[in-house]
Amino acid sequence: MNYPKYLYRSENHYKVYEFISEGKNGSIKKLVQYSETGTKNIYNLAFGDYDEENKNINDLTITNNGDSLKVLATVASTVYAFLENYPDAMIFATGSTSVRTRLYRMGITNNLAEISNDFNVYGLSIINQSWEDFIAGEDYEAFLINKKEKI
Amino acid sequence: MKNIDQINSSKVPIIVFDEKLEKLRDKILFPEKLKKANEMLAKVGLPNKH
Repeated sequence: MNYPKYLYRSENHYKVYEFISEGKNGSIKKLVQYSETGTKNIYNLAFGDYDEENKNINDLTITNNGDSLKVLATVASTVYAFLENYPDAMIFATGSTSVRTRLYRMGITNNLAEISNDFNVYGLSIINQSWEDFIAGEDYEAFLINKKEKI
Repeated sequence: MKNIDQINSSKVPIIVFDEKLEKLRDKILFPEKLKKANEMLAKVGLPNKH
């Protein structure tokens, strides 16, 4: 996604990333993590705000920092970083609320042409409760993304 | 150090390593999200192609 994004930091296994959201409510530390699920090679993508005072992470906070597109573009960029280093992995993603899931769906939809060049994207159909190739305009409960095999 | 234009135009990202993040690698930072993911994957499995 060729949008403005924040520079981020990672540990050397590319599973945890950190960046600072800069907006109208100040500087907010964000953490992104790819965690192994119980299914081989499937990693869960999650991100949220790090609360420096309480030393905890909240993925339900509505930061309202006026930079949600930049934050999403940064998180999307970590997908590239992660899959470059784990080319056989699939990433599972869902929002912490249905509103967030819709936001992710819109982010994928708006960039589907570019994303599809590099990745397979699947949506979990709310109606059928099964995975299908992502279709713009459909409502999904969760997403799976993996790297396309280059011939 | 890359400038902001390079960061913004780069599809393959520019990453700065931070040793302070090493301690977070093996921690589950979002346990509820991971639980939800595992429950959904157990219920619906993977796409047919996989």
